[in-house]
Amino acid sequence: MVRVTQVLEAHILGEGDWIAVREICELCRLDPEAVLELAALGVVSSREQAPGELQVAATHLPRLRVAGRLMQDLGVNVSGAALALELLEAQRELETRLRRLEHLAHY
Amino acid sequence: MEFRDYYKILGVERSATADQIKTAYRRLARKYHPDVSKEPNAEARFKEMQEAYEVLRDPEKRAAYDQLGSEWKSGQPFRPPPDWGSGFEFSGRPAGAGGAGARRRHSGSAGAEDFSDFFSSLFGGGSPFAGAGGRAGGRDHHARVEITLEEAYRGTTRMLELKHPELKPDGSMELRSHTVRVAIPAGVTEGQLIRLAGQGERGSGGGSAGDLYLEAHILPDRLYTLENRDVTLTFPVAPWEAALGASLTVPTLGGPVEMRIPAGAQSGQKLRLRGRGLPGQPAGDEYVQLKVVLPPADSPEAKAIYEEMRSKLNFDPRASEAR
Repeated sequence: MVRVTQVLEAHILGEGDWIAVREICELCRLDPEAVLELAALGVVSSREQAPGELQVAATHLPRLRVAGRLMQDLGVNVSGAALALELLEAQRELETRLRRLEHLAHY
Repeated sequence: MEFRDYYKILGVERSATADQIKTAYRRLARKYHPDVSKEPNAEARFKEMQEAYEVLRDPEKRAAYDQLGSEWKSGQPFRPPPDWGSGFEFSGRPAGAGGAGARRRHSGSAGAEDFSDFFSSLFGGGSPFAGAGGRAGGRDHHARVEITLEEAYRGTTRMLELKHPELKPDGSMELRSHTVRVAIPAGVTEGQLIRLAGQGERGSGGGSAGDLYLEAHILPDRLYTLENRDVTLTFPVAPWEAALGASLTVPTLGGPVEMRIPAGAQSGQKLRLRGRGLPGQPAGDEYVQLKVVLPPADSPEAKAIYEEMRSKLNFDPRASEAR
């Protein structure tokens, strides 16, 4: 019998949420320079909340987390991670389209 | 506990140089990295490789591991020798395989907590408080949760077992765990992060606790394909429903709704049900992709109808392709 000590309410980090770069570095295992470079490359949307205080759209956190893992684990640089992200997303889109066509062909 | 042959895992000789080990790790990491790999058990293989690399890339750990001798085979029952570790000093928490310099450990890459009992028995898990003199904030923790599309639509709960180290009266550390029920709100999408404030590692010396982040993954659905918040459903219709129009009951995530199929609809055409996808600001849509299914000509009556259509309709499906 599992004893539950707490019920926790979770918050989805989604549209309308912006995360400071220093927090992203913690979350995504990225250096601040890498986050800024990925923002400059257009991989993520960013805004300057106050002078020198950059924030990134929370909807782009999954991208940054994958970029961080690829850089850390595979040794790729920022440009390589950006390219890999673009190709992975294109692949996922094609797979979704393929699944849809397979559904269509099923009948 | 079972012995792990780290050389075999990385596919290198025991005499391999540091460069050869690094190359072997990088080659395998590209193949099995969970973010890019389609291989079965990629995540488990990748963690195994990271553990092997964590030992073989570090001269101290490698030398200690080599002391065990070359007679051991993967899977053999193992217990560390009584004098294990004398003459070596291990540097606690792994730095994260492949990265330069010490970084904090996050999910996706394995850390000591993800490594095998074999690794822990030889090299320990690293003190959670190492280097944290005085007041220090706790680290964030990460976990992956898999939910169905239905759960993403309605919201759901998950039981999670959270582990945290506690100092025992004798000064040693032990891992304590408690179970929490997490309410995941409706509208979570693929890869999205869910934050549970203050549920990460406890701070030391009065420092604030870290947060717990859940990375949501939505399992493939039998009926729908998902793209961001939009869902697509393939919906079979009869030729006369497509040709003449019809009012039909269509499944949606929130339950069946009536939908008007316009006259002259074609197979493959997509109709949109606004706001019937995953909830959010704005909510996603449901796309209903029509699939015209022909009745079989398997009776004299059915054949007669097809014959009549052939003779009366003057229809050439390839007319638009004629050059």
